[in-house]
Amino acid sequence: MNRRLFLGQSAALIGTTAGMNKLALASKKTKAHVVVVGAGYGGATTAKYLRMLSNEGIAVTLVEPNGEFISCPLSNLVIGGSEQMSAITTPYDGLPSKYGIKMVKGRVDKVDPNKKTVTINDGTTLSYDKLVLAPGIDMNFDAIEGLTQANRDGVTLQAWKAGPETVALRKQLVDMPDGGVFALAIPLAPYRCPPGPYERACQVANYLKKNKPKSKIIVVDANPDVSSKGKLFKQAWSDMYDGFIEYRPAHRVTAVDAKTKTIKFEFEEDLKANVLNILPPMRAGNIVRDTGLANMNDRWAEVRFLDFASTQSKDIHIVGDSIQTAPNMPKSGHMANQHAKVVAAAIVAEVNDFPVNPQPVVTNTCYSFVNDSDVVHVASVHQYVPDQATFIPVKGAGGLSPEPNQLEGVYAWGWAKNIWADSVA
Amino acid sequence: MKCNFGSMRKGSLKHLSAAAILVAAGFATPAMASGDKVDPQFVYNSALAATCASCHGTNGVSVADARVPWINTLTPKEMAKAMLEYKNGTRNGTIMPQLAKGYTDEQIEIIAQVLGKK
Repeated sequence: MNRRLFLGQSAALIGTTAGMNKLALASKKTKAHVVVVGAGYGGATTAKYLRMLSNEGIAVTLVEPNGEFISCPLSNLVIGGSEQMSAITTPYDGLPSKYGIKMVKGRVDKVDPNKKTVTINDGTTLSYDKLVLAPGIDMNFDAIEGLTQANRDGVTLQAWKAGPETVALRKQLVDMPDGGVFALAIPLAPYRCPPGPYERACQVANYLKKNKPKSKIIVVDANPDVSSKGKLFKQAWSDMYDGFIEYRPAHRVTAVDAKTKTIKFEFEEDLKANVLNILPPMRAGNIVRDTGLANMNDRWAEVRFLDFASTQSKDIHIVGDSIQTAPNMPKSGHMANQHAKVVAAAIVAEVNDFPVNPQPVVTNTCYSFVNDSDVVHVASVHQYVPDQATFIPVKGAGGLSPEPNQLEGVYAWGWAKNIWADSVA
Repeated sequence: MKCNFGSMRKGSLKHLSAAAILVAAGFATPAMASGDKVDPQFVYNSALAATCASCHGTNGVSVADARVPWINTLTPKEMAKAMLEYKNGTRNGTIMPQLAKGYTDEQIEIIAQVLGKK
């Protein structure tokens, strides 16, 4: 691989491609240039597979504010205390060195779909032939009265984007006196990682059972019932954590009082707790909304599933948690990694002037730890159905674990290591 | 040109350094110049096989300490057979019997051709 050549061409592209409407760059000696925003499961995988599937025929710039990848999947184990942050952190070094991806550290603040440029927070402007937005979710703190300030002050935490808040929530749990209450508030679906909150309840309870036996976690859920793996989680709660987990469905948080550490609900009585882990309603990443692409209730971005192109703006594709999903398609890291391969193949097809794959397929695999070692999974396969122009779960495929088991605990770590390598290394 | 995916399994990967595996797995071998034009079948088939990579590793090659069943030791024939057995219920497993049922027989054959040991 001739990286020097690639970097030189990419720099030249920035100056020359603005205003060009077609991807017919291939006819010239310059490569098409794709800018990918966000180096998570969706974006980093897109960048890597664009390089692989094009046989390095496409120049790729990947813009990401964080210096390393921290996985949301398995981050609940850090909160529970059985793992450290280092176990869920992967450096980005391989993407430039092995795949010739140009990585830019920064946050994209503005997209100009007409000029086909993005502006990074340091003022740099990049031109693109194709743009892939993979910012994940952002939190709508304003939907809950008092939450924006409370979370800013660290009185409440979301710890749903793994990172500093994961560490902070772990510390609050450790610092909580025995006899205390840990409150976990879950927003209405759809949100990132449907089973994640219930796994978190297991991990917190696992810690409390061993270390603070007079304490409990109260789960207040805006949903009418456990949104994913319900039977398996409820079984685990009664078998393993009797008396440690109290589950209150259909509790929609309306306000938080930071001074008294109290959560208020639409109808039910207030809840006072020592630790307030409030997950706000979620929506597409800000850059998607700011660009006017979150056309579904100003919340999620509608895409054409054959190539994940935005229905709102030409030459912009969106993958991962920001999209309005297909039927029963979860917002998960695994799914974002799968979107990435579809969009990468579609862009490579377009650049090379052949039709996109008419029938792509994506899968989902999700492992949840109910304690340090036992795991339950949910899996599904989604085939693109041309008549319906969307992905539909294959009937008879997919399913759940029969019960928590250690073998899948081993597989869960194997999955993690391989998907981290497949996405960001 | 199709050496980008699935052409690297000669001898045991366990004895190669991580860097050697990645060079072999990802990019140009002497037979393929970087930047050669790709054809539709290569792109479609590689992207289909890449649905497996999320659990089994890029190009079906697990990272060294990932304790999921390694599939890169299987020939295309063995891989297709295993997948079809998962699909028709004659082979036990945790998640694979559920996932295999989601693919058509034709897709299973393509995946096996792309990821199977050459």
